[in-house]
Amino acid sequence: MKLLPSRKKKAEADGSENGEVEAVAKPTRGERAAQAKQLATHHGTQSGIDVAGWVDSRTNATGIFTAMMSRHVPKGTNWFYTLGSATMFIFAMQAITGVFLSMYYTPSATQAYASITHLTNEVFMGEFVRGLHKWGASLMIILIFLHMARTFFFGAYKYPRELNWVIGVVLLILTTVMGLTGYLLPFDQRSFWATIVANNITASGPVVGPYLADFLRAGPDFSATTLSRFYALHMMVVPGLIGALIGAHLFFVVKLGTTAPPWVRAGRPKGSRPTEAVAAGVAVEDLDEVAVNGAVTVADAEPPAEAEVDAAEAEEVEAKPAEETEAETAAPEPAEEAAEEASSEEDGEVNS
Amino acid sequence: MNAREKEEYLREYEILKKKGKSFFPYAIMKDSVMMLVVAGVLIAMSIIMGAEQGPKADPTTTTYVPRPEWYFFYLFELLRVIKPPALVPVATIGIPTICMVLLLLLPFYDRGPERIPWKRPIATITGIMVIIAMALLTYKGAVAGPPTEIDLPTAPQYEKGKQIVAQSGCLACHAIGENGAHGGLGPDLTEIGSKIPREAIKQSVTIGPGIMPSFKGLGNEDLNAVADYLASLD
Repeated sequence: MKLLPSRKKKAEADGSENGEVEAVAKPTRGERAAQAKQLATHHGTQSGIDVAGWVDSRTNATGIFTAMMSRHVPKGTNWFYTLGSATMFIFAMQAITGVFLSMYYTPSATQAYASITHLTNEVFMGEFVRGLHKWGASLMIILIFLHMARTFFFGAYKYPRELNWVIGVVLLILTTVMGLTGYLLPFDQRSFWATIVANNITASGPVVGPYLADFLRAGPDFSATTLSRFYALHMMVVPGLIGALIGAHLFFVVKLGTTAPPWVRAGRPKGSRPTEAVAAGVAVEDLDEVAVNGAVTVADAEPPAEAEVDAAEAEEVEAKPAEETEAETAAPEPAEEAAEEASSEEDGEVNS
Repeated sequence: MNAREKEEYLREYEILKKKGKSFFPYAIMKDSVMMLVVAGVLIAMSIIMGAEQGPKADPTTTTYVPRPEWYFFYLFELLRVIKPPALVPVATIGIPTICMVLLLLLPFYDRGPERIPWKRPIATITGIMVIIAMALLTYKGAVAGPPTEIDLPTAPQYEKGKQIVAQSGCLACHAIGENGAHGGLGPDLTEIGSKIPREAIKQSVTIGPGIMPSFKGLGNEDLNAVADYLASLD
């Protein structure tokens, strides 16, 4: 605080000095500003004030943040698209309340129940936080299913977002594993016996079933180690996996973008309308062929079987352009739609 | 989707994105409102319903009928719907595993370019059917109460065993007469005495073969009473 007025005074003094030697060499306004900026930067780095700048020049954090914030979500994005972030929010809530619960919880078969009693009845807001965690689990399951239903019915799992669907399903499985492992921790009758049955069900599985059940129980019978094993899975292994996979999930969301509702049509910006090319005597289908050849990178990734189908389709299409072109010159808009419909009908067999 | 359709989709998506709004503040605003709603619901649930603590886990008393958390009810109920005992592993492991694999690989077998729900009826109808089935199984699992009564008439010397059987949760999986889980996890016990000797029954109850839990905790006296009662059923 002291620096500022003194610097100001100094600047004034400089100014008056400049005024006196004006005739010799008067710096332009721009030069003076640049000098001041340089000075400020110099001071900043010297005194260690510009930490943000230091970090930013090494990580480009500001750039990434700005890019993430200013990226566009497609036209038609609606409330259904908030379910994913809501699920993530609930996971964050579970993590926070879970940390507080773990401060009072003792993962031992003899003390677990008493530690929960203590937490519920004596710790300040204990029952409230435990309630948040308990009901948060149910809400998270509901939200993750709703989020998946949206993705399913909007066809958002299709190209190019297949991998993100797979990650999402793994997250769903891990979330139910959290439900299963967390269920035992209160160590009341309900959780104890439900876990025994769940374990017996696991043991009835083919090949790996008995081994997996033995691993979960930490032996052939339910023992004191079982509880601490479930605790470790519930506290560290599964949340760690979920956190990492949420990161991957978000990476793909930012990289590929969220889908638009499937019924929202783009329309075409002026100038790129294929119909204008059609007027010049080129069929829509021909245009698309050109585009495909241009995008070899996309075609490269294709298995040969599909490429054959593609070729077959192209042949089929070649038989049509004449009549389509006629129709389109007459009424461009509907004909374009018809062409789109025709192409989607051709794929009807591949489509489900 | 073939290469042309992929190209077409990406082109269309670019236009949609250009016509859309920026993530901040428009999308993030919606997300935040949704998060606030979720937080409000969660806090209300915690305050209203609290976090009750059940009776302490006791491996020696088996009078408790195990119930899973509600979001596993549909799996629980699936076990009761599938009747023959030989098919129990199919219900416990087979069907859930197949469903999970099908779900995981969905984008690799449903590769059509169409995304509008009403233009891909197979996917949409399948999705709706799965939701209805899960909702129905969850509901049935929720209302299936733990039965604790056996109406079948019994000779007085077996009355004690009958009470223990009724209250030990056997009827959650087994049927005895009109009571219990018909087509449940375990076999029907109505005529068990004519099928298996008394000693084998006692051993089964003690060990808990397969997915059945062990009832060793009842103690030898009660186990004998249970075995006597079950052996009398024919």
